[in-house]
Amino acid sequence: MRVYLEFAKKSFQNNIVYRMDYFAGVINALVMIFVNISIWKAIYEEEESLEGVQFKIVATYIVLSFLMQVVYTMDEYFIEGKVRSGLISSDLMKPINFRLYVFSYNVGTTIFRLLMQLMPALLVSIFLFKLLPPFSTEMFIFFMVSSVLGYLVLYNLNFIVWASSFWFYWTFSLVTIKDAAVMIFSGALIPLWFMPQWLIDFIKLTPFDSIFYTPIRIYLGQIPQEEIWTSMLRQVVWVVLLFGIGQLMWKAAAKKMVVQGG
Amino acid sequence: MRKHTFWDLTTLFFRYTKLTLKTTLEYKFDRSLITVAIFFREMISVAVMFLILLRFLHIRGWEMQELMFLYSFLFLSYSLFVFLFAGVRDFDGMVHSGDFDRFLTRPLGLLYQIIAARVDYPATLGHGIVGLVLFFNTAFAVGIDWNWQNSLFYIMAILGGAVIQASIFMLSACFSFWSVRTENLRNLIFFNSRRVAGYPITFYPGIIQKVLIFVVPFGFVNYFPSQFFLHKADGEQFWSGFVYLTPAVGVVMFLLVSIFWKYGVKNYKSTGNAMY
Amino acid sequence: MALIEVKDLVKEYQLNVRNKGLLGSIKSLLIPEYETKRAVDNINFTIEKGQTVGFIGPNGAGKSSTVKMLAGILVPTAGSITIGGLNPYKDRKMNASRMGVVFGQRTQLWWDLPVSDTYDLLRHIYKVPEKEFKANLDMFSEMLGLHEFIKQPVRQLSLGQKMRADIAAALLHDPEIIFFDEPTIGLDVIAKEKIREFIRFINREKGTTMLFTTHDMVDIEKTCERMIIIDHGTTVYDGTVDEIKRKYGSDRLLVVEFGESYGSIQLPGAELVEERDNKKWFRFSKDDVQVSELINRLSQKYSIADLTVQEPEIDSIIREIYQGGINLNASLSGVC
Repeated sequence: MRVYLEFAKKSFQNNIVYRMDYFAGVINALVMIFVNISIWKAIYEEEESLEGVQFKIVATYIVLSFLMQVVYTMDEYFIEGKVRSGLISSDLMKPINFRLYVFSYNVGTTIFRLLMQLMPALLVSIFLFKLLPPFSTEMFIFFMVSSVLGYLVLYNLNFIVWASSFWFYWTFSLVTIKDAAVMIFSGALIPLWFMPQWLIDFIKLTPFDSIFYTPIRIYLGQIPQEEIWTSMLRQVVWVVLLFGIGQLMWKAAAKKMVVQGG
Repeated sequence: MRKHTFWDLTTLFFRYTKLTLKTTLEYKFDRSLITVAIFFREMISVAVMFLILLRFLHIRGWEMQELMFLYSFLFLSYSLFVFLFAGVRDFDGMVHSGDFDRFLTRPLGLLYQIIAARVDYPATLGHGIVGLVLFFNTAFAVGIDWNWQNSLFYIMAILGGAVIQASIFMLSACFSFWSVRTENLRNLIFFNSRRVAGYPITFYPGIIQKVLIFVVPFGFVNYFPSQFFLHKADGEQFWSGFVYLTPAVGVVMFLLVSIFWKYGVKNYKSTGNAMY
Repeated sequence: MALIEVKDLVKEYQLNVRNKGLLGSIKSLLIPEYETKRAVDNINFTIEKGQTVGFIGPNGAGKSSTVKMLAGILVPTAGSITIGGLNPYKDRKMNASRMGVVFGQRTQLWWDLPVSDTYDLLRHIYKVPEKEFKANLDMFSEMLGLHEFIKQPVRQLSLGQKMRADIAAALLHDPEIIFFDEPTIGLDVIAKEKIREFIRFINREKGTTMLFTTHDMVDIEKTCERMIIIDHGTTVYDGTVDEIKRKYGSDRLLVVEFGESYGSIQLPGAELVEERDNKKWFRFSKDDVQVSELINRLSQKYSIADLTVQEPEIDSIIREIYQGGINLNASLSGVC
């Protein structure tokens, strides 16, 4: 266990070296929030409430969505880099659980983002963008749990794409397409309640809305008490499902490595 | 020395192009996949715009077709920019890898080599196709009379927009001469400005408008040229001359940056490979 | 007038200071610090047309900076360089047309395309008349065996093939000067020798002036008439390889294989530097004691199965110079 903590710590330290990334991530998120809020403000000029939702709720949604995106950003090419450079072989020979290693590495990065990027961005958002507080303390706790689950859903989805580098070598295209899908279907860019019904129905069959939409709605108090457990259960189901697929892929990949000799 | 004539340089440029195309075709499958990926990535923001306008029909008097027309400028001009100036975009990498050192040892202009030696076909196509899709879906639905004057102006606007963006990238590239990697900062400023400019600048507070006009002139890449054609009411708050200025802004920016560039080359510190 | 004249050359760099540890990293992040490093500190030398000169020095010694300034890649902080009357950085293009560069670590060939494609492009870049180009290409192909792989994409070539192709590429336009930066790095012994042979041939046939930066002493010994050692930004030695051996290579190694296993052996005038089984290595200075005397002393007391006398490797001399062991007079400048 100690060793994985070390990986996380190393990852945290590595991030400090990338000066500009630190600023860039925060600024990018703030600009995105700003642009989106400006557009929604313009839309709301004509009506006070749309789909029964007031502007300040939409504004908070936007802020939460982009702040979460900052924290949820992961190193998409970590595994690919190892496969391309051949370092993967030495990793496989070490007495560590590779999946756990990759996970701790990502957790280290995520904690860095939480502290170094989220905190300042959050501060700015509260003052500049008038971020609303959570619906209630209870909801806030649920929100925290749901966010962690959402992170895990995304992580496991990502892992499946990352693992494809064992076969495809270059994963830029897949990662980019995956990102595009996540962006649009998870409610990251536009609250799902504004979308046409048929699209919403489709998305409910996918893991996407479990990433951002569910946690954010909990925060906003839009999910009634009875449904909270089912929503979070859905998230858990997806985590398990995606994890399972990831495991199958990983097993196949490890086998391939052994057969091919890296 | 055997000097190159203008004709020499032109034919040489085509030789380079032949080789860059040949290189890209070596990786046909990969490059096509990347083109598709870029297409999807860029279409996301278009999809968001589409979904919003599907529901709300118009924002501040701008209809969906008009907003899409505005948006198409960004993609088409970026596509043109990246086609010609991919080398400038990747300049920092060239310096770091030692490729730029190699250019210094050749009897050819530096900018010439930087432009000739690198062409990013996937990015050109990815953005270009999005731009064309948007353009052809909107150009004939927003009430523009495509006579030869308007068509000519449109082409000038796209060219001007490409040069404006090229100047921004070139400015950032100059810093590599002092071993200062500004890629991140540049991407930050450039792509965020571009994002903001996706919607009419009048949607934003005054200060943002001023930034997009006088600091990072994306306003001239799409807002003012579209206003030349569309004459939306919110355009009246600006000086009417702005709508014609895009090509001029491009030229002026490029000239200024060229001066800085020359100065940078003189002060170049090679970081190149391993040793110093 | 010499082809290359270097006067009072100086090059300084601004380096970013990185602090250690977690807190230090955060500090560097917020308040960046710089320090000035003087990589090249007043270097002077001249090189005549047709000479072959090797630059040696430890990493970070300033030799690469010096050569890069000569090649017009780097701009000096102070001092002057003249090549054939031209300033390499002010008259860049003109100078470039007469110059060739081989970067050992990075090929100038287009990675995904056949070697011949790059050659064709180079022909037009340097405006080489077709006849000359073909003649050169034929000559190089023959000597370096290029026809085996000239149609293959560069990424499929072995290191040796890439190197050969790269060297040919640099010479196709008949440059007056050629810079080699680690030309034989990573190659096997036979490939290295082939390249050295080719380089010597070109130097003889075309009178091309050649400058090398390398860590491979054998490269220098076999291809250079002259050697310039640069350490801590200054010229520590400038003369021939033979001269340095002669003047500073007074050490000899007496390698003796004894008939029996002896314990410790005392040999006045010599120092035991290594022993293995029955073999012992003795170091002595030929200026201080005669080898015949040493052999005499040994043979009187011990049974000797085999013995050899070894000259010092130029390698070890250089190593000692790097380590400050041998004191060199910097004003020593020999032209071969």
